[in-house]
Amino acid sequence: MGSIVLVVRLVLADVRRHKVQVAILLLAVTVATATMALGVSLRGASDTLYEQTRAATAGPDVVALSGDRGPAVTSALAALANDPDVVAHHGPYRIVYADLTTRDSTSSPVVVHGFAETPGAVNRPLVTSGQWVRPGGMVLERGFATALGVGVGDHVTIASRSYPVVGIAVTAATSIYPWAAQIGPGGGPSDYSGLAWMTRSDARTLASSHDLPVTLAMDLKLRDPAATEAFREGHRVSIIRINFHSWQFTAVQDMVILRDSQPILVVGSWLLSFLASTGVTALAVGRAAEQTRRAGLLKAVGAAPGLIATVLLTEYLALALVGDALGLVIARLTVPAIASPTASRIGDAAGLTGATVATATVLAVAVAVLSTLRPTLRAMRTATVTAQSATAYQPRHRPWLTALSALLPTPLLLGVRLTARRPGRVVLQACSTATIVIAIVALLIRFAQPERGYGLDGSAALPNLRGEHDRQLMLAVAILLIALALVNTITLTWTTAIEARPSMAIARTLGATPGQISAGLSTAQLLSSLPGAILGIPLGLGLFSIFALGNWTVPPFSWLLGAALATLLATAALTALPARLAARQPVAQALSAETA
Amino acid sequence: MNVSSAAVQACGLVKTHGQGQSRVHAVDEVDLEVPQGQMLAVMGPSGCGKSTLLHLLGGLERPTDGEVWVAGRRIDTLSERALARMRRRSVGFVFQAFHLVEELSAAENVELPALLAGRSRRQARRRASLLLDRVGLAARARHLPSQLSGGQRQRVAIARALVNDPLVVLADEPTGNLDTAATLEVLRIFEELRSAGQTFVIVTHDERVAATADRLVSMRDGMFVDDTRLAGSHPRGLGGLIGLEG
Ligand SMILES: Nc1ncnc2c1ncn2[C@@H]1O[C@H](COP(=O)(O)OP(=O)(O)OP(=O)(O)O)[C@@H](O)[C@H]1O
Ligand SMILES: [Mg+2]
Repeated sequence: MGSIVLVVRLVLADVRRHKVQVAILLLAVTVATATMALGVSLRGASDTLYEQTRAATAGPDVVALSGDRGPAVTSALAALANDPDVVAHHGPYRIVYADLTTRDSTSSPVVVHGFAETPGAVNRPLVTSGQWVRPGGMVLERGFATALGVGVGDHVTIASRSYPVVGIAVTAATSIYPWAAQIGPGGGPSDYSGLAWMTRSDARTLASSHDLPVTLAMDLKLRDPAATEAFREGHRVSIIRINFHSWQFTAVQDMVILRDSQPILVVGSWLLSFLASTGVTALAVGRAAEQTRRAGLLKAVGAAPGLIATVLLTEYLALALVGDALGLVIARLTVPAIASPTASRIGDAAGLTGATVATATVLAVAVAVLSTLRPTLRAMRTATVTAQSATAYQPRHRPWLTALSALLPTPLLLGVRLTARRPGRVVLQACSTATIVIAIVALLIRFAQPERGYGLDGSAALPNLRGEHDRQLMLAVAILLIALALVNTITLTWTTAIEARPSMAIARTLGATPGQISAGLSTAQLLSSLPGAILGIPLGLGLFSIFALGNWTVPPFSWLLGAALATLLATAALTALPARLAARQPVAQALSAETA
Repeated sequence: MNVSSAAVQACGLVKTHGQGQSRVHAVDEVDLEVPQGQMLAVMGPSGCGKSTLLHLLGGLERPTDGEVWVAGRRIDTLSERALARMRRRSVGFVFQAFHLVEELSAAENVELPALLAGRSRRQARRRASLLLDRVGLAARARHLPSQLSGGQRQRVAIARALVNDPLVVLADEPTGNLDTAATLEVLRIFEELRSAGQTFVIVTHDERVAATADRLVSMRDGMFVDDTRLAGSHPRGLGGLIGLEG
């Protein structure tokens, strides 16, 4: 019991003394877990939004669609109403294929559903503003209206006739904008389209006056809403071809717009966690060395050598869990904005599920444990062997590196010899840089892809929402990645500078100038970054190719090279400050500190 | 006074640390002139300011007041960069704690100042092997400092201090961490260098080291309290002098 109190007290004291490091650790873990939690909860969030919309609009269990029309089709659809499994129905109703133009001449394909003025028992679109259809007045689906920038009271032109928009509504019978056309004319493929409702007679007039394509649909409510598959199987054999879209199918279709969001977030969270653990490792190494020096002191007050390890681990675990909790809160707050890029669904995006919380927590704990394990064990070992005088580190001699560096100008020479000093840190720095380059390469690829707009004939007047959403997400993840990597770079330069202080002070006595010292430190970081920057390009391309669906084009090589170079330059600029600060240390003080 | 004839010179040198109550005069109004070729020993109790004086002379610390001249050039007003350049050419340091770069081999440690001074790699290497040979460590050139004994490390440090043919070698208790045999070895090298005309300022607690000098200065509380000229090179030879023979 007493030892627990001691551990807690030491942890608290340590946290108080290292506020910046604690903040960095929290930031890293929070960002990683938030992204991971978002990534894994998208599917659930999308499903809940669909569920809520379906409940609010008496969504059909099955929509029967026929690409053809005529009395035979109408009666075949109507006959479904008599099926013993069907408890309620709506339709058959017309779906008219037309073009819609707004007052500011944005044009889009539209499917117009001909509905009764008083909605039936099944598929009752929920009017979110204005009112339901009336003769001469049309209602726009909310996702479509939002994309068009049209509201109640505006006029839109369909097939050269102007209609007032009397209301805005949502439905669960179709997929979200722009996939409202579940079937194309004649049963063929459909374009990106919005959805609008008119009265039955207005829809009929619209279709006949311009000889527009028309298909028929019928909404069905089943006795067992879950048995949509069985229902479909039971109606396969038919003279007239009818497509059955189950509510489950539509729910899955909603995810199409998030298709790439999930990999962006999940892969992003892996990279973020990776950066978090490299950053935390760098911090932990420095801390462990410091703790090792305190080992003698702790021993003097009767602490077991395991205490240092316990304190470090406890502290990092506790901080990781706090970061995890913060990350989950952030994820919960941002899910609604990310899970629903269109306005086609209503309701509140799901809270985080137990599985999401568990995944994020495992991640946070893994980051904390993996990154502290090695330094902690080392601290423990050193603490048991020697007490205060432990120089936890024995340099390894790399003659080829020294020989190579002797050919270089002095700052580079110092840099290379410093790099040789800490191979582990070189790897960490290279990893940080590689992650930055991966993020930038992925961004470049994403922005270089040609994209079809949602407007008429692929016009970009109506932007591709999925592309925009993906780019925004990717940008956000990339910004987080770069921010974490930059923090890592500064931490690594600083710890390198601190540890190189004795060697640097000696070099100063031998006639190295402060400029040479800081250039040497910067060079050391730059040299460590170099392999990362080079590797980052193929890794970025590789990651993108693994997770990208469909075709994609590689951006010009000069862009990729530019990204790597810019990253290196930024690294050099960033390391300059800590390096300069370290080089300004008075020599005499640094020398006596070493002997002390 | 003729400034340029002295290797190192200090006038009214003051160095204080801290402020107010805790203000310490580490060096207090010291005047000093070390002619070329002289071996000067500085002795005094712990904390009297010996190391501080040495740091001031080598430009590692800046004086609070007074002037420092090295090779006829005033250095206390120089920029850090100019000081570093001055050290490369004119000053070699030897420390009690050796201060070798731990990750470089003996030869690489010795090469380092030569490379910093802009010598070619081959020149630096040739110079380093020559000096290591002179301090009797040719066979240990590729060893890391951690693989050498204290005396060997100090000899590497001496070789390193000499690699750029400095005007003056500033040694801070060079034998402070060494046993008798190792001390003797270092003294033998110093004696050789002295007869070759190398200028030295050696801070020491060790009478045997002081006895090899041309001149002995005693320090107390940051001030010189005694300045004695010794007989110069001893005809009897070093071993006999310090009583270690036989
Ligand atoms: N950075 C510093 N800050 C404050 N006081 C200092 C500092 N460096 C040295 N001093 C003080 O200046 C005085 C002289 O120190 P110095 O190291 O020169 O003594 P020393 O003669 O070399 O002693 P020793 O024989 O123990 O090495 C001491 O009183 C010391 O406490
Ligand atoms: Mg001293």
